[in-house]
Amino acid sequence: MKKIFAAIVLATLTIGFVGAPASAQENLSPAEHKRLFREGAQLWPVYCNTCHNARPGSEKAPYEWDLIIMHMRTLGNLPAGDTRALVEYLKAR
Amino acid sequence: MPARRILSIFLLAFGLVALSRVGLARAADSGSDAAELKEIRSEMRQLREERKRDREVIHSLEIKVQQLETKDSRVETTTEQLHATDQKLKETTLELQQTNAQVQTLQTKVDAPIASPEFGEAVNRYLGSHSFTIAGAAGGSFIYDQQSGALDGVSHVSQNSFFFDWEPMFLYRPTDWIMFEGVISTAFGSTGTGVDLSTADFQIFLNDYMTVVAGLFDQPFGDWYENQSPMWVNRFVTAPLPFGVEPVVPPGEIGVQLRGGMQFGALGQDFDYTVWGGNGPNFSSNVLGAALSSPTAVANSQTNGKSIGARFRIYPLPVDSQMGRLELGASTYNGKWANGNWYNSWGVDFNYFIGNLQARGEWMESYRQMPDGMGSDNRQGWYVQAGYFLNDLNVPCFPNKLNGYLHRFEPLVRYSGVNQRAVASDDIEAATGVGQGGFQAGLVPDFGINGSPATYAPHAREVALALDYWIAPSIVWQNEFDLELPQNGGAFVSPSGAVTPAGPIPNDRAFLSQFTIGF
Repeated sequence: MKKIFAAIVLATLTIGFVGAPASAQENLSPAEHKRLFREGAQLWPVYCNTCHNARPGSEKAPYEWDLIIMHMRTLGNLPAGDTRALVEYLKAR
Repeated sequence: MPARRILSIFLLAFGLVALSRVGLARAADSGSDAAELKEIRSEMRQLREERKRDREVIHSLEIKVQQLETKDSRVETTTEQLHATDQKLKETTLELQQTNAQVQTLQTKVDAPIASPEFGEAVNRYLGSHSFTIAGAAGGSFIYDQQSGALDGVSHVSQNSFFFDWEPMFLYRPTDWIMFEGVISTAFGSTGTGVDLSTADFQIFLNDYMTVVAGLFDQPFGDWYENQSPMWVNRFVTAPLPFGVEPVVPPGEIGVQLRGGMQFGALGQDFDYTVWGGNGPNFSSNVLGAALSSPTAVANSQTNGKSIGARFRIYPLPVDSQMGRLELGASTYNGKWANGNWYNSWGVDFNYFIGNLQARGEWMESYRQMPDGMGSDNRQGWYVQAGYFLNDLNVPCFPNKLNGYLHRFEPLVRYSGVNQRAVASDDIEAATGVGQGGFQAGLVPDFGINGSPATYAPHAREVALALDYWIAPSIVWQNEFDLELPQNGGAFVSPSGAVTPAGPIPNDRAFLSQFTIGF
């Protein structure tokens, strides 16, 4: 019981202090935005088509892409950097 | 009066005398006067002629003046018109300048970067900091199954039915590192309207390499359940046999996952992992060949321990290599059921995609330790499939429009199979439907299931041919033709444990047509 309690406390602290933005693009320089966009344009047709047809960015609103990319990051275990590039590309449409 | 007459006569006489005198003088000079008179007359004629010419000249000059005046009038009119035109041009130029100025202003605004903080704040104020959306899929299908024969003890008749399934996926993001995701499956299937909670879990992004998923989730074993099962993602209407009516691995689990991915080389060279634990596997009964029925509820007496699973996948090809994307994966899922008996499973999978070609396949095997000293319940399953988009196929004799339609087609083929020692007969009975009037309708199709008795065979085999027509990237009309080719062998086991050899299983054919939208 103590072990379970300790694990829960550890998990709580870990989640509380380590939580990292999954798809946020804030505070990036214009050059960084461009780099992410270029990477996203490269990755989009490859990563998406691995499982299903790549869907154009215009299908969803930017805030929806934030949600869907979080979903896809989990489902596809996409690297965080690649996820940020993909969402940058999809939001730019 | 006589005086007046006298004076008049006098004057008259005087006048006559004077005239006669003048006449005499003139007569004396008449020679020179005639010459002068002639000269004068000649001069007068000349003067008359000159005057006539002058008049003519004056007349011609008058005509010229009139002509000039007319021309001048025209010139004036033209000048006025030119002035008017010039004025209009000036006005038009001014308008153009104003328009140009407006265009430049707009262009400047367009070119100027969006003031992201202000814009972001405005959008955020509108949307709120918590965001929410609905994705998912919906599909309607028609399934015809020939059912030329049946399994022992099960009635059979050819089946044809329409079905509909709607699976909304709710995504809710309270912060940028936490998300809730839930999928509800609502269907009008073989048993009428049904609602099922497919998945519901929290996703917590700890850092760039670790994500915690907690809740009810698709089994992260291989690729199928997690990645390929959504109806608009699956290129076929049905699932491969190892993920169909006789699954080798439980389709879902309730528990906790830790997962993530990372780049180990160039862009596209990735590695990912998923480890998880849950309530463990469960079976419909203790007999050999009993169907997996997970996720397991906590109160279920059939389980005695938790499960643990792991999956690793690697993507060795860089994006820049232009060699496509290759995925190689390995999975395992293990747990205890029925008071300490083990269930173990493992599998490998691949997926290769390049251009218009996509191929994937999985192989898996499971071991189920049986109670009471019975022999183990081993199962195997596999599938391999390939599809090719006709994007680049141009038939020369076809018009462009027809070639355009042709480009939307994707023909596919899949071969799948399952091997197991036995199948529980009560699981088959549970899958039969009851027709009108209470008559047993035999095995029936359902959304995504062709209903063929041959798919319940211990050694089921199936060749599926499909032709998909892609209306949009996530809208597809799928047509599938299934050839069931079960192998002999294996057994059916009653709930009491009685084993009956399966004997020959009839072949079967099925046709499925489905329209699906992913949203």
